[in-house]
Amino acid sequence: MMASLWQYVLAGVVVGAIYALIAAGFVLIYQVTGLINFAQGEFAMIGAMTAASLATNGMRPLEAAAIAVAVAAVTGAVCYVLAIRPARASTGVTLIFITLGLDVALRGLGLFVWGTNPLSLNAFSGGASISVFGGVLPPQALWVLLTDVVVFGALYVFFRHTYAGTAVRAAVANPPIASTFGIPLRTFAFWSFVAAAAIGGLGGVVVAPITSATYDMGLTLGLAGFVAAVLGGLDSLPGALVGGFVLGIVEKVAGGLLSTGWEEGVGFLILVLVLVLRPQGLLGRAVRRA
Amino acid sequence: MYGRIGLVLIALVAALVWFLPSYYTGLLTQIGLYALVTIGLNLFMGYAGQVSLGHAAFFGIGAYTSAALAVKAHVTPWAGMIAGAIVAALIAYALSFVALRLRENLLALATLALGIVINVVFNQWEFIGGSSGFKDIPPFAIGSFAFDQRADAILAWVLVAAGIWFAGNLVRSTFGRALIAISAGELGAQALAVDAERLKRQTFVLSAVFAGVAGSVYASQQSYIDPGSFSFLLSVNFVLMSVIGGLRSLWGAVIGAAIVVVLGQLLQAYVPVFLPSARGDFQQFFLGVILIAMLILLPRGITSRFSEARSA
Repeated sequence: MMASLWQYVLAGVVVGAIYALIAAGFVLIYQVTGLINFAQGEFAMIGAMTAASLATNGMRPLEAAAIAVAVAAVTGAVCYVLAIRPARASTGVTLIFITLGLDVALRGLGLFVWGTNPLSLNAFSGGASISVFGGVLPPQALWVLLTDVVVFGALYVFFRHTYAGTAVRAAVANPPIASTFGIPLRTFAFWSFVAAAAIGGLGGVVVAPITSATYDMGLTLGLAGFVAAVLGGLDSLPGALVGGFVLGIVEKVAGGLLSTGWEEGVGFLILVLVLVLRPQGLLGRAVRRA
Repeated sequence: MYGRIGLVLIALVAALVWFLPSYYTGLLTQIGLYALVTIGLNLFMGYAGQVSLGHAAFFGIGAYTSAALAVKAHVTPWAGMIAGAIVAALIAYALSFVALRLRENLLALATLALGIVINVVFNQWEFIGGSSGFKDIPPFAIGSFAFDQRADAILAWVLVAAGIWFAGNLVRSTFGRALIAISAGELGAQALAVDAERLKRQTFVLSAVFAGVAGSVYASQQSYIDPGSFSFLLSVNFVLMSVIGGLRSLWGAVIGAAIVVVLGQLLQAYVPVFLPSARGDFQQFFLGVILIAMLILLPRGITSRFSEARSA
C-alpha cells in the first residue's frame, strides 16, 4: 500500500512539473495584462505536435524541440497581435470570450495540420527507469524536472536581477504610474504572450515523450494548468510552481486510490474550493477584482 | 410582440417539417433546443452581465434526470421534463452560493470547473450509466401517439416560443431593468436598491431551468445520451451562439443557435471537398475564428445591426 502510494506521488511530481510550466504562462499573462488566457494549453499542444512531427520526419530531437518552442512563441505573438490587441479596450467578459475563441481555433488548427492520430516522440535520452526509494520514474522525468528548474530559474533571474524584469514588476504593481515613467505596458503585454507561449510550448515538448502528442491534448493540459495557477495564486510565479506540484500529486494519489476517472474531477473540486475559501491562492498576495 | 412572432415561428416549423427530409427536421429540433438554452444564457450573460462556461452541465442534468426517470422508473417524459427543470434549478441554486460570489475571470473559471466536475460525475456514477450513458430512452407521447421527428421539432419550437415570450416579458419588467443595472455596475445597482445577489441567483437558476428543459427533450429526441454529449465543448458552443446572435437579445439566441448549427453542418460537408485531409471536429477552427472576429468587429452580435438600423 505504502509502496503504491509513493509511486502515485512520483507520478504526480512528473505531471505536476508540466502543470507548473503551463501555470507559469497563465501567471505571466495575468500579471501583465489582467487576462486569463484560456488558450494557454494550446501552446503546449503546438509545441508537442511540432516537435513530434519534425522528429518523426527524421530531425534530431534537440533541433526539433528548439523549432517547436519557436513555433509556439510565434503563435503566441500572432494570437496577441490579431486577437488580443485589437480588443484591448473591451470589457473583461469580452476578453474572456476572445481567449476562449483562441483556444477553440488553435485546437481546430491543430486538427487541420496534424489530423487526429497521436504522434509519438522519443524520450530525449535512453536508459533504464530510475529508481527513487523503491518507486520508479521514467528517464524522461528528469528532463521534465530539469526544464522546470531552468525555466523557473530563468524567470527568477529575469524578474529579480535584470532591469527589464524590474520594469515589468513595476508595471504589474501600478500600471498608470509605471506608464508615466515611460514603461511601455503594451510592449510588455506582447512579450508576456510570447514568453507564456514559449514556456507552454516547451512544456508540451517535454511531456510529449511521456503522453504522446494529440491535437486535443491542450484542453486537458490548459485546464490543469490554470487549476494549478489559481491554487498557487494567479499573481505568483512561485505559486505556479507550488500549485503545479500540489495539483499533480493530489490528482495522481486520488486517481490511484479512487479511479483514474476521478483525477480531473478532483482537480476542479480543488479549484472551486480555492476560489471560495482562498481566492488569492496559496502564495498569492491580494485578490485582484478584475 | 414576442408572443405573436413566436406563434408564427411555431406555425412555420409545423409546416416545414412536412416537407423537410428527416435529417433536416432533426437539425431543426437541435437548433430549437440549443436556442432554448441560449435564451436562458443570454438572460444571465447578456442582461445580468455575468458569464457561464458551464451551461452544458445543466443541459446534461435535465437530460440525465428525465432519462433516468424514464428508463429506471418508467416515468413519462412529460413528468421527466418537469423533474429535469426542477433538478437543474436545485443544483444551480446550490452552486450559485459558490459561483456567484465571484466576478468575470474567476466566475468564468468557477463555472467552467463546476461544469467539468458535473461531467466527471456523469462519467463515474454507475447508477446513471457511467461512461456508456443511457440508451432506449422512450419518446414523448400523447395518448398512444409516440412523438416522431416532426412532433419533436414542433415541441422544441413550442418551447422556444414559450421561452422567448416569458423571457421577453421578463426583460421588459422591473426585473429585467434591474438586471441591466447590475450589468452596468453592481455597486451602482445596489445604490438603486437592487438586490444584486438575489437577482443574479434567480437569473442563474432560471437559465438552468431553460437548459434543463431543453436537455430533457434532447434525451427523448435522441433516445441515447452519454457524458460526451455534455462536455466543456458544448458549453463553449453555447457561448458562441450567445455571442454571435448578440448577448443582449432574445431573438439573437435563436439566430445564434441556427447559425452555429447550420454553419457547423455546412463546414463539415464542404471543407473536405477543398481540403481532403480535414477530419473530425475541424469546424471548431472556423467557429473560434468567427467568435474572435465577432467580438472585435461586432461585439454586440448580429442582431445589434438590426436594432441600430431601426433606431437610426
